[in-house]
Amino acid sequence: MITLYSILITVSVYLFVQFLAKKYSSPLTSPVFLSTIIIIALLVVSNISFDEYKPAKTIMTYLLGPATVALAVPIYKNRKLFTKYFSAAFIGLSIGIVTTITSAIVLAKLLKLSNMFILALTVKSVTVPVATEIGRFIDGNLSLIAAFVIITGMIGAMFGAKLLSLFKIHHPFARGLAIGTIAHGIGTAEAVKEGEVQGAVAGAAMGIAAVLTSIIIPYIIELI
Amino acid sequence: MMKSVWKFSIQMLFLIVVYQVGNWTARFFHLQIPGNVIGIVLLFVLLWLGVIKLEQIELASGWLLKHLGFFFIPISVGLMTLGDIFVAKGLPFLFVLIISAFIGLLFAGKVTQTVIMKNAKEKVNFHDHAI
Repeated sequence: MITLYSILITVSVYLFVQFLAKKYSSPLTSPVFLSTIIIIALLVVSNISFDEYKPAKTIMTYLLGPATVALAVPIYKNRKLFTKYFSAAFIGLSIGIVTTITSAIVLAKLLKLSNMFILALTVKSVTVPVATEIGRFIDGNLSLIAAFVIITGMIGAMFGAKLLSLFKIHHPFARGLAIGTIAHGIGTAEAVKEGEVQGAVAGAAMGIAAVLTSIIIPYIIELI
Repeated sequence: MMKSVWKFSIQMLFLIVVYQVGNWTARFFHLQIPGNVIGIVLLFVLLWLGVIKLEQIELASGWLLKHLGFFFIPISVGLMTLGDIFVAKGLPFLFVLIISAFIGLLFAGKVTQTVIMKNAKEKVNFHDHAI
């Protein structure tokens, strides 16, 4: 019964926020961000704990895997772009990953955050399923990692497009690459809406960034 | 109507199978790469080799991608369990996460765009010399 109720509120809040986002487009109406906040509020008001919400979560996220696989379609459609911009993509991706991880570590050190937080910060830009895998590997706090990953995704989805435009990054390939590299799936979901090229590149960048990060993480951890 | 529901379900089933094959491959070969990424590669190769035609999966894949964001919402709701940590350390966390995300976005985007422009320019210059 709780599960059915949880699914019902999740789906209706999502549909409502989508409708709202079409009417008033703003970072605050970014679907993942606003829906999450409203749903958490509704659960708290209805006195439902996250443990009770979990069965509903399992059912609703069942299609996340196939949905990620479906990213192959826009990648295939835009395959010529990837060969054309191969070197640009590789350089941009590597620099994006290294700068975001290093700046996070440096800032965390300046703020005197403990090592547990710094460790979790290193995987913040990696898509959820991979981040938890790497998290196990580096012995990190998994729920903290999931939180950092999700919040990073939301930041990218909410402000990414505006920030890139502000700094005159208009090339659809570069925009998709930046969003996918930093804001993984949650950012990609926004990039898909901006355009097919952006969505395709973001999806591919998300996958490559995940692989690259898992390769360089052991070396970065030595430096912490 | 019935026909498109049927078509949609078959396509969805196919995507689920590709995803599961990706998972099995990752586990079987003990790969560091996650199953969903392998699934992307697998579907891409199938399309590329022409084993699968775009029209044969576009209905389900289009629908899934349109609602990609939805699938992250139930996961994000898990943030409610971390209330205590975020009350204590929320501001420094947000500060670090926002600034580092912005730095990464700008570097990734700017560098990619600059290299693309530079390569395009070189090609044009080369062309000019040839003339």
